[in-house]
Formats: sequence, structure tokens, C-alpha cells
Amino acid sequence: MKKFILTAVVALLVTSFLSAQTYKTRDGNIYFNPNKNQGNKEYSAQSKEGTAVLKVETSEVAFLVPMKSFHFNNALLEEHFNENYLHTNKYPNGTYKGKLVGFDKSMLAKDGEYKLNSEGKVEMHGVTQDFKSPVTLSVKGGVATFRCQFPIKAADYNIAIPDLVKPKLMEATPLDATISFKMN
Amino acid sequence: MKRILLISLISLVCSGSLLAQDDLLADLVKEDSAKVKENVTIATFKATRIINMHSVEMTGEGNLQFLIIHHFGAIWDSKEGAANFARLFGMNGSYASTYLSFDYTPIKWMNLGIAWAGNTSMEGTAKFKLMRQQTGAKNYPVSIALLTTANFNASKQLETPNDLYWNRFSYLTQLMIARKFSDKFSLQVTPSLIHKNIISYGYGGDHNVYSIGIGGRYKLTEKRALTFEYARQLNMYENVFDKTGGMVNYSPNLISLGYDWDTGGHIFQFFFSNSAYASNIPQLSTNPVKDNFGQWSIGFNLNRSYAIKHKVQTH
Repeated sequence: MKKFILTAVVALLVTSFLSAQTYKTRDGNIYFNPNKNQGNKEYSAQSKEGTAVLKVETSEVAFLVPMKSFHFNNALLEEHFNENYLHTNKYPNGTYKGKLVGFDKSMLAKDGEYKLNSEGKVEMHGVTQDFKSPVTLSVKGGVATFRCQFPIKAADYNIAIPDLVKPKLMEATPLDATISFKMN
Repeated sequence: MKRILLISLISLVCSGSLLAQDDLLADLVKEDSAKVKENVTIATFKATRIINMHSVEMTGEGNLQFLIIHHFGAIWDSKEGAANFARLFGMNGSYASTYLSFDYTPIKWMNLGIAWAGNTSMEGTAKFKLMRQQTGAKNYPVSIALLTTANFNASKQLETPNDLYWNRFSYLTQLMIARKFSDKFSLQVTPSLIHKNIISYGYGGDHNVYSIGIGGRYKLTEKRALTFEYARQLNMYENVFDKTGGMVNYSPNLISLGYDWDTGGHIFQFFFSNSAYASNIPQLSTNPVKDNFGQWSIGFNLNRSYAIKHKVQTH
């Protein structure tokens, strides 16, 4: 009986560790250029301070980026982004919570490239929207990199763009997010 | 013994499910809010000028700013009578002064500029950010910047006792101490020192002119704001000898009221001021006495900045 309980405890310990297999990273990177002329990098912005969690068993992912960590080529645009468009004092973070569709933990064990989808919810500027986008996973040398390119419409998130500026911008801003997890 | 094992088993199951972190996002949010952050105050003022005077703001790193300051003539010249309607509040009069400048910020805390500063003078400016208002990791209640300006009068008609090169220079050193009290309201105190290499001879003449200024902004909406500034000259405004040997009085006050309009790309600043000089140096040292508001003038600042150094990398 004693032996049985002991085995049960050990088994439970092992399974609980396995099921709690999560990867965390601070290597989240988002880039965007809202300019209609994509060759013009005046308004380009980037944050390298995204954090993310991946829960292997359930294919769940979560991503957070502090909005103030976006830096623009033109500092005036950065000021507008914080003060007038995204109101970053009031809404400090942009977040994503969702699932990777088509993901399997065996993918992490072998180098290669995989096409997945991600479905979930994006929250930004106090507005939550459903999100669905293809994701590329590339595994190489113990690093799993998820890359997701997706468009965001300012209007969907209650972000008011002045009429004078509107003609210069894309109707939907293309965002490019890269998140890398080190697996050991 | 059995009981102990059972209890430990139960507690393990419980802790296991706790460890499983049902909400991954909540975990990230918790981690993020636990970080000690630097909350640096931004946009204490919308532009690098409050109205006539420099603000604590600086052009962004790697950015080049082009600034035009334009002062028109007197809004209502009593000698002109009905012709004032043709003069269109000084906009169609005979006088106007323009300040054109380019300034660039090579490193985060330093800005260098060159300006055509009116009355055939040219200026070089250097602005240094000494402190940024912030909370969090560090706690600073104010932002502080230092401005140094050297003005060179290139006019052929400038009369100096012996026309030495150095006699054409005057300098302005200004300390700007500003606080953004709320999203709407910011205030700045600006002590200034002007040094002139040449002054007219006579009793009480001083190469140094001191003044203290105050300026503020109140935002009406996100993109529109009211601004004001007042500077008081402390010496060299009463019974000063001019170059002909006569005595003159200058106004010790520089008063301006303004309206900022941020279009998203430019900042327009419209203003009404008792000085129509282009440069801060005459504004704060030889401002003419004006008897009535009709002699005040309107003007505008218009700035535009360009990203020269691209910090953002594409994938």
C-alpha cells in the first residue's frame, strides 16, 4: 500500500511537471510601418520588449507588449502615438491570448518550418477584438520562432486618425511580429 | 503515516493545478506590472518653443527640425487710420520679421541649430536636456534644459567704435525648468542672461542683461492648446544710452498669448505679442515701449521634423 501511494505521488509529480510544460520569453519583437508608401520609413516603429508564454500541452499562447516600448523613427510620431492615438498612459499594454491551431509538441523536437494558425483575442486601446491569422513556426537549434504578419485597422480599436493624416496611411496597418522561445 | 501521505498527495494535486496557470495572460500582466519602470513624462509642451521663448522640449533624437517664426507688423497703427483695413492687422503692412532655423539632435540630450535670426543676424544654438521629469525607478519632479545661443550681426551698417569681429557677437544663456502638472497643464520658469560684447558708452551701461520668464500651456482638446508667456527684464531698460548718445527706454516686459494647433504632422502656433523681433536676444533686451495694444503684432510658428537617422530596423 505504502509503495503504491509512493508510486502514485511520483507519477503525479512527473505528470504535473509535464503538463505544466510552458516556455516563456522576453524576445518578442513587433514592427510596423503605417505609411502608404512602404518605402518611406519616416513613420516606422518597433518594440523589442514583448513577452510571451507558450503552453505546449494545450497549444495556448499569450503575448504582451508595453505600448510605450514602441519607438518611431520620427519622435513627433512617437509622441502622437502615445498621447493622441493609443493613449498609453491609460492603456499601457497590448495583449494577445489565443491558441495555435495545428500545433503539436513534436514540432519543437525537430528542426524545420511549419505553417500554423492562431486564433484568439487581441486587446489594445481598451478594445478587444477577435483575431485569426496564419503563423509560421521555424525550429532551429533549440530555438522556436513564431512569426505572424497581420493587418490591423485603427478604426477597429477606436483609434482616431485625423483627416489630414489619413491619406498618407494604409487603411490597415501591416504588423510583423516575431517571438522566439529558447527551449533549453 | 498513511494520513500524512494522503494529505501530501492532496496538497500536491492542488499545488499542481495551481502551477498549471490557467490564465497565461494574467501571468504576463502580473510579471509586467511587477517590473520597476521609468515613467518619463512626454510632451510637456507640443513644440520646441512655448511662443517666442524656447521650451524644455527638444527635437527627437536623429530628427531634423525646420522652424519658421514669423512676426507681422502692428495690428492697428493709429497713424494709418482707415488704411489699417488694407494693412490687414499688420499682415499687409510694411514690417515683418522672420526667423528660419534648422536644428538637429545627434544624441538624445543635445540639440544643435543654426538660424537666420532677423535684422541681418545669424544664430547658432545648442540645447542640452539635463533632467527629464519622471516617476518610477527615478523620481524627478521637473524637466530641465539649458540653452546657449550665439548671435552674430552681419550687417554692413552696424556701427561699432572700431569694427572688430567680436563686437558683432551677443550671447543668450537660458535655463528652462518645467513641470507637466497634468495632461492639460504645464508650466515653465526661464531665467535668462544676455551678454553683449558691445554696448553704447555711458553711465550705467552693462554688458549683461538679466531677465526671468514664465510660460505655460493649457490644452483645450487633444490637439489644441492655449499658451502664454511673460518675461521681465531686470536691468538695462531704463535710461539706456543708444549709439547716437541719446537716452532711450525699453519695455522690460515680453508678453505673448498663443494658440497651438497640432495637425498631426506640423505644429502651428499662432500668437499675439508685444514684440515683433525675430530673435530672443532683442526680445529680452531692447523691446520697444508700446503705448497700446494696436502696436502689438500677430505671428506664427510653424515647424516640421524629419527622421534623418533611422533607428527602427526592418526584419
